Amino acid sequence: MPLYLSPRIGPTLQSALDETALMAQLSDALGSPLGVILPQQVADNVAAFRSIFSAHRLAGQIYYAHKANRSSALVRELAATDAGIDVASLAELQHALGAGFGPQRIMATGPKNEEFLWLCAVTGVTVSADSVGELAALATLVTNWSLPRVRVMARLSGFSSTGVRFTSRRSRFGMSAAAVSEVLDLIEKHAGALDLVGMAFHLDTIGLPEKAVALEGCLGALDECRRRGLRPWSVDIGGGFGVDYLADGTQWERYTTALTEAVLGRRAPLTWAGHGYGLRAEGGHVRGALNLYPAHRPVSGPAYLDRLLRTTAPEQRRPLGTLLLDNMYDLHVEPGRALLDQCGLVLTRVLEVRDEANGDTIVRLDCNARDVSLEEHGVLMDPVVVHRTTTAAAGPVGVYLFGNLCLEADLITRRKVFLPSRPRTGDLLAFVNTAGYLMDFSATQALRQPIGRKVALYRDGGAWRWCLDEQYWPVHRRVEAA
Amino acid sequence: MRFENMTDAIGNTPLVRIDAAVHGLRNIDLYAKMELLNPFGSLKDRAAWNMARPLLAQAVERGDTVVELSSGNTAKALAVIAGMHGLTFKSVTNRMKVTEIKDLLLLLGAEIDELPGQAECLDPSDTDDPLTRMYHRLAESDGGYLHTDQYFNELNVDAHLNGTGPEIVKDLDGRAPDYFIACVGTAGSSTGVAAALRQHNPEVRVVGLVAHKSDFIPGIRTIDEVHEVGLFDPDVYDEVETITADDAIDGLLTLVRRCGTLAGPTGGGAYQGAVRHLRAIDAQLTERRTAVFIVCDRVESYMSYLRERRPELFGRPPRRNSLRTVTDAEVRQAAVVDVAEAERWIAERRGLVVDLRSPFAYQALHIDGSVNIVDEIFAELLHGGLPFGRRQPVLLVCPVGEKSARYAALLTRMGHPDVRSLDGGIIAWRDAGAELVRD
Ligand SMILES: Cc1ncc(COP(=O)(O)O)c(C=O)c1O
Ligand SMILES: Cc1ncc(COP(=O)(O)O)c(C=O)c1O
Repeated sequence: MPLYLSPRIGPTLQSALDETALMAQLSDALGSPLGVILPQQVADNVAAFRSIFSAHRLAGQIYYAHKANRSSALVRELAATDAGIDVASLAELQHALGAGFGPQRIMATGPKNEEFLWLCAVTGVTVSADSVGELAALATLVTNWSLPRVRVMARLSGFSSTGVRFTSRRSRFGMSAAAVSEVLDLIEKHAGALDLVGMAFHLDTIGLPEKAVALEGCLGALDECRRRGLRPWSVDIGGGFGVDYLADGTQWERYTTALTEAVLGRRAPLTWAGHGYGLRAEGGHVRGALNLYPAHRPVSGPAYLDRLLRTTAPEQRRPLGTLLLDNMYDLHVEPGRALLDQCGLVLTRVLEVRDEANGDTIVRLDCNARDVSLEEHGVLMDPVVVHRTTTAAAGPVGVYLFGNLCLEADLITRRKVFLPSRPRTGDLLAFVNTAGYLMDFSATQALRQPIGRKVALYRDGGAWRWCLDEQYWPVHRRVEAA
Repeated sequence: MRFENMTDAIGNTPLVRIDAAVHGLRNIDLYAKMELLNPFGSLKDRAAWNMARPLLAQAVERGDTVVELSSGNTAKALAVIAGMHGLTFKSVTNRMKVTEIKDLLLLLGAEIDELPGQAECLDPSDTDDPLTRMYHRLAESDGGYLHTDQYFNELNVDAHLNGTGPEIVKDLDGRAPDYFIACVGTAGSSTGVAAALRQHNPEVRVVGLVAHKSDFIPGIRTIDEVHEVGLFDPDVYDEVETITADDAIDGLLTLVRRCGTLAGPTGGGAYQGAVRHLRAIDAQLTERRTAVFIVCDRVESYMSYLRERRPELFGRPPRRNSLRTVTDAEVRQAAVVDVAEAERWIAERRGLVVDLRSPFAYQALHIDGSVNIVDEIFAELLHGGLPFGRRQPVLLVCPVGEKSARYAALLTRMGHPDVRSLDGGIIAWRDAGAELVRD
């Protein structure tokens, strides 16, 4: 039985995929790989997050984590919604400003150099500060350049809990929640330069209990602010809401069980060179941990936010959403991956299909593992075969997907991928739902191979239309019928 | 029976027949090994004591902390044993999912360390399973730990090889049963009992039960996880079958309601798995056979688990004056006042201002002169009747004016003639620039 991991495909994405002639034309004209962005979908995703805010009666901002995709179309489309944007570099900030985001809708996060800080301060965007040093540097900048007060958030980490001790992975980022008074001392000292508007965290975990501890930790820090007479009104809980990549949870369960068996040698390998995705066999037992994104995540995106807000705060014993509201705090979120759910795909061209002597079938694609970074991000999800002509030999086939770099390691994914029908040279493989981190996050020009172009595909007047990503603006120029 | 120590009461549990009228098997005598009658509440008392006993004298001398990767019965037993010897116990867990057990551990003075959840972004440096992580931690510390290592410790198996198994044979008049069915956690009990039984009769059929992959049954492993267990050897079992949480609860209900056996979910799962497995065999049999399954622990620790999965079992009559019964039409008719009017009402000291928000939020900032009755407690009070007189005018305040309007409607229905809600709540109050104080 083929071990499929079929992607979850929403109606919009499906309707784009159904345009096979258009897909083939685009690929022929613009090359492989080709990133296809569906900018309009992102507005629906913003609305889905917004509806959770409304259900909890919470105000606050949805900041798109720009790092998830370099696309201009997405950022410009978002500028036309009520969302904000989270920028993590100088260039992302410039991009956001140029796309139409006003400074009150921009949050600057991550490690920052002086130029980045300066542009934040001059334009008046909110700075989510990672360290006391960053706050001090910002205050100096503001003072030296006689700039208006800059709105700042203090990003905290290392939250502690009582009773059960929840250990969190150590983070490179954020200031110690235990030392919040030091942070506030500095902010009070530079009251003319820094305007504290809230507390922030971003935890790289899917675990709700850790986030609950962190959120309650922020409430504690804000309490300290109020004691001192400061009046910040918001909590930013970062991103990490997740995406449910797979259509069918039982496929995921079947696959991971089979992988365990393969690692133990109880069935034929499912991966190139017996790779175990973090699992290994030791004396007949499985060791290690499955180092994969949990591709089947029924509670993800807006539903995950909802679940978090319904979670009871460990100390105050009230749902976190209710506590935020009780305290009149705005809630900010910074979803990247979750906001780009169903927002794009990567089209790749099949260069060769061959059967090896050992029985393996190889499909060589005109792209590399950096162009569709499923493997790097641990997302196991099948591509969709777009046949040019009628289906070749019917029936499923298990194949290895090779990339176009002359590197032994350049497999698009190290697992054997089961396709419902055998592709032929010239056919396309569409890696769907890859807009968040899986499209261009780590694309490089190694070997002078080009980085894939991007197009925006949008509905206008009942039809699909497209343009280069950098040409897309939410005001569509109607193409008059000939 | 007179003992010097509670640990002397471990083991020698009864083997009790399950009434054929309940299980419906015609040719099989089905017995339950009542491990729930161990002094600290479970089968794991045996393993905990057997693993800890030889190391205790030294640990007491050095003042070591007893440590184990467990979120359940082993932790409970070790916490008690550690306490009896003046030692601390630390439980390291992946996720402490059963609140009653967590609370009991804290009550026993245990420390609970939760390991971090899975990373949202893939971190290639994060390759360790919980057990390996714990080994690393123990290795990093400079000693001071008594680690019982239940997933790898042969003494876990020995406790059952020398205790549980022979007891079953003795109670069956020196014969091993034909079938033995047990849930697999560390595999200690099933492995030890199977070996003891096979010494008497190599033909004993052994069935191991694991949880269905997407299910959580506290105390046992899923079909994938079981391969991580050091003591697990697939050759011990003639069959490894899965049970669902629903099976476990169905079986639990049969045992608690009909068999006088206050079994927890794995006891129920073992019963259900046993009957399911044996039913097919029973139909073919022409002579009598004997089967034994294990009831590992007691039901009381799993109330929240059961309530979450089968709320209908806990159906209670609706309480009077419940907020849920307030209709939208009633809410629309409730009296509301806007911020300006409320400011006047308060300045003229016309009545009582009740702030329904959490105590922390109230203490941080509130309307001067208001009293704080958090909504949960207010709801509780209203079940009993009006908490203030009818001639006492009241203004209710909540975050956005929704909850307060519902309560105003409820109070009106309860016969209070003079109650109103702050429109837009305290957020509108703040946004209008009205005064907020802290004491
Ligand atoms: C500070 C911050 N906010 C938001 C995000 C977005 O996370 P996600 O795409 O998982 O929602 C990240 C991701 O690294 C981050 O570091
Ligand atoms: C409730 C419960 N049932 C069954 C078992 C399984 O016992 P063993 O660990 O000996 O396999 C355990 C073990 O932790 C348990 O806690």
